[in-house]
Amino acid sequence: METAQAALKISELPFLAEEAPEGEGGDETTAAGSQGTVGEPFVENPRMSCREVNVFYGEKHAIKDVSIDIAGNEVLAMIGPSGCGKSTFLRCLNRMNDTVDTCRVSGTILLDGMDIYDRSVDVVPLRARVGMVFQKPNPFPKSIYDNIAYGPRIHGLAESRSELDAIVEQSLKKAGLWQEVYDRLDQPGTGLSGGQQQRLCIARAIAVQPEVILMDEPCSALDPIATATVEDLIAELQEQYTIVIVTHNMQQAARVSQRTAYFHLGTLIEVGPTDRIFTNPRHRLTEDYITGRFG
Amino acid sequence: MKKHGAMPGKEKVTAMDVVQKGLARRYRRERWFRRMGLAAVLASIGFLGLLFVSIIGNGWSAFTQAEVLLDIDFAAAQFDVDNLARANYGALVKKSLQKLFPGVKDRRQKRKLYRLVSSGAAFILQKMVMQDTSLIGTSRRIWLPADDEVDMLLKGYISRSVPESQRRLTDRQIGWIDRLIADGRLKKRFNTTFFTAGDSREPELAGIRGAVAGSLLTMLVTLLLSFPVGVATAVYLEEFAPRNRWTDLIEVNINNLAAVPSIVFGLLGLAFFLGVLGLPRSSPLVGGLVLTLMTLPTIIIASRASLKSVPPSIREAALGIGASKMQVIVHHVLPLAMPGMMTGTIIGMAQALGETAPLLMIGMVAFIVDVPTGLTDPATVLPVQIYLWADAPERAFVERTAAAIMVLLAFLICMNGLAVYLRRKFERRW
Amino acid sequence: MLSKDACRAIVLLAVALAVSPAAAGQGRDYISIVGSSTVYPFATTVAEQFGKTTRFKTPKIESTGSGGGMKLFCAGLGIETPDITNASRRIKKSEYATCRKNGVREITEVKIGYDGIVLANSKEAPRMNLSKRDIFLALAARVPAPDGGEKLVANPYRTWKEVDPALPDTRIEVLGPPPTSGTRDAFVELAMQGGCSTFAWIKTLKKTDKARFKGICHTIREDGAYIEAGENDNLIVQKLEANPRALGIFGFSFLDQNGDRIQGSLVDGEAPTFENIASGSYPVSRPLFFYIKDAHVGVIPGMREYVAEFTSDRAWGEDGYLADKGLIPMSAGERQRYAADAAALKPLILDDAGN
Repeated sequence: METAQAALKISELPFLAEEAPEGEGGDETTAAGSQGTVGEPFVENPRMSCREVNVFYGEKHAIKDVSIDIAGNEVLAMIGPSGCGKSTFLRCLNRMNDTVDTCRVSGTILLDGMDIYDRSVDVVPLRARVGMVFQKPNPFPKSIYDNIAYGPRIHGLAESRSELDAIVEQSLKKAGLWQEVYDRLDQPGTGLSGGQQQRLCIARAIAVQPEVILMDEPCSALDPIATATVEDLIAELQEQYTIVIVTHNMQQAARVSQRTAYFHLGTLIEVGPTDRIFTNPRHRLTEDYITGRFG
Repeated sequence: MKKHGAMPGKEKVTAMDVVQKGLARRYRRERWFRRMGLAAVLASIGFLGLLFVSIIGNGWSAFTQAEVLLDIDFAAAQFDVDNLARANYGALVKKSLQKLFPGVKDRRQKRKLYRLVSSGAAFILQKMVMQDTSLIGTSRRIWLPADDEVDMLLKGYISRSVPESQRRLTDRQIGWIDRLIADGRLKKRFNTTFFTAGDSREPELAGIRGAVAGSLLTMLVTLLLSFPVGVATAVYLEEFAPRNRWTDLIEVNINNLAAVPSIVFGLLGLAFFLGVLGLPRSSPLVGGLVLTLMTLPTIIIASRASLKSVPPSIREAALGIGASKMQVIVHHVLPLAMPGMMTGTIIGMAQALGETAPLLMIGMVAFIVDVPTGLTDPATVLPVQIYLWADAPERAFVERTAAAIMVLLAFLICMNGLAVYLRRKFERRW
Repeated sequence: MLSKDACRAIVLLAVALAVSPAAAGQGRDYISIVGSSTVYPFATTVAEQFGKTTRFKTPKIESTGSGGGMKLFCAGLGIETPDITNASRRIKKSEYATCRKNGVREITEVKIGYDGIVLANSKEAPRMNLSKRDIFLALAARVPAPDGGEKLVANPYRTWKEVDPALPDTRIEVLGPPPTSGTRDAFVELAMQGGCSTFAWIKTLKKTDKARFKGICHTIREDGAYIEAGENDNLIVQKLEANPRALGIFGFSFLDQNGDRIQGSLVDGEAPTFENIASGSYPVSRPLFFYIKDAHVGVIPGMREYVAEFTSDRAWGEDGYLADKGLIPMSAGERQRYAADAAALKPLILDDAGN
């Protein structure tokens, strides 16, 4: 955590403002540990593997003993009521929590067998391997081209201008945005519509050729049509990338994911194939949530 | 609200009635507040207008200057080609005046006559000859500055109606002046001297160029030091420094420094830059250093505020694709914060431009005739020039003081306008 | 954002900073003058003439006040200290001692002329005819009781008529400089002290209890009759125009320049005119000086020539350009003596300076 000299205060982070852990004293939750997780949290040959992950914000215990595997080329959806810690957990996967002063993470998270919280691991290449798309589209106030080219540039992925052009084109094509913007790459990215902006952000994440893409409620700020476009995109991207998506929208989870994890008050309650979770939840909390009794 | 609570038992009063009752009062209050605000704005505009009217009213006349048209005979006999400076240029002026008024014979009267032309006229002729020796042997008609008393009379600041003994111009002198005017030889012309000359004890020869040059040199030093240092400090404090008691202490102290009377910085400059480092007194270099100390807190505070206003989503976006902390700051945060930083800097510089108190201690409140050309030349600055002229006994300096204030105000308006322009131009919305 | 150019500029500046003390150490090619704001208008005029008529640079003149000037002047030898200081009073023994202690051993004193301090009012009001005793009684904080006797009371006088039945029945209202000003020092010493010495019992105090004597004679009332109007004499002149009942205290040159708006009051029957001050009959006048640091002559170029210009008749003579600026010239004999002493750089000896 030595890199965690962060400039951000907790209260400044949008994801926390919305989902600040509400603390103990919830309802009937049993403080289930990893053993308490119902379903099938583990897979063979996982891309990422998390064991007994605990996260504290100062005194607040935000994530409690979460253990889960993420397989290659799958879409894992994380659902749960507000403040359940799903976003916090997502941000552990590329160490975005390092930017928060008071945040402590314990447990192990392996990416292809490498402990990403190990002292020897540098966050910069890690975040190139584990990209991220945020809740609110946040393109840089630069041109569309520069938005995409920024990552490859800082990582030195392109040797020449033409290579860079190729990366930009490919990334935009993969994000399904090429047709819409190829003739105005020099226009500011902030001038696009919300859905286009979010796809631009996805293209930007793709441009550095990550293995895993983390998506933190990527469609919550979009209208239904834009949402559908992004969802289609996720389905296409799945062929090449491992995607972890946090969502409030259960239909979305059902539409885009193969596996679903249900979080409740910092605890991972249940993990299983998406079909089964939505049709036949085993834990009562999961069932209550899915049937709309709370959340 | 209290009434509301007590309601249920009494006769039926709906919530709407209560709202209606209070409504008039609410609107009244709003109207009252608006009027107060409007009155405050009008009052300040009024005072500003008053300031401008009084300054411009006093100062516009300084942009013209009475000049006398004289026939100067550069007779070859008077010049020694090897030493042009030795020639008696004053005599040239005197001769041409004698020719105009051949009737003046008495020595005292002659002196009075010569006094109508500025003592600087001889130096102007000297300069002309030194620049162009071909003038020697020719005769030219040349406009030369009149004495400041003549200037004041022409501008109506000296009343002809007061008794002669109480005027600085005698009736005879006024008679000569009237003849010169009638001959078309005495006129108010545009005062270029005011913009091209350094300070002088003769109002008709005094200009602001020295002070403007001094101000520019001083501001250059201030800008080059305070902007990078201020921005670097702000970035470190805002982005890198851990939050603890020490950084809190530093923050409090920076805010305090911004409120410290500027003379204190002058004392510090005197003790440190002059005393310890032995830098030259009265130089723009030291002035700039002192003003840097004064400006830094303003720049740091403004820069920190604009760094804070950069939305965290931009930082996250950059971090999320693997930018290092430094890259996030240099590539994304700084460009977005830059307009705010520049605005803060310009406002700080504008403050520094109008400062005299700290410069007093380091010897920049001084009579300096030569226009400074380097950072270690003795120099003064515009507000100091204004201060010095305001204290001069000659009445012609009153209008020059006001004119110099107009120039200073023009500079300030330009700088603040630039700040607004930069903010408009680079302001981004997210 | 720290572009390369900006970085380069910073480095250059740092280098300039490092080098400049060394550069400054190589010498100074202009004369540095400090001191009295009263002498400033005269010294600057000479400096300008000097700069224009010689090959030397125009001297730099700071208006620091007499005391401030002495402090800088006596700080030591070397180009970072001034070469000449102007003063509207003689150097004090203590200042002289400081000078010597700091290595400034040889100083030449040059008296340049006189300055009259005038009490003036607007032309719209009648001209006042005051005695020094009137001035003291009107302005001192504590005055001898009006019923006689050697008792002091807080100044009871509200109007000039109460001070002296011959004076008009207007409220005492005097605008004058603050205590930091040399003009105020001179006014207190010449007018107030002169007035209070007309009381025999106070005069004897001067020998027996000097501190008490000064306390009585030099303390100006603070009940609103004396209004501190700042160091800017122009401001006082403007205020007098606006308020015909008020009197103002300032240097003669301001009266000289504003003769159409204000009139000088008679003091002990003498009008503050050029001739009266020059002849010494106007009582409230003081000599003006400048002091030369002899060790700098020959090191700083042009010092001899500057002194020569100042002490030439075309500058400080009866018809010289300084008289135009309001300086009251000395008699021809005095001028000759001081010019000779200045040219010879005759050092000032402390005991001579008896203060």
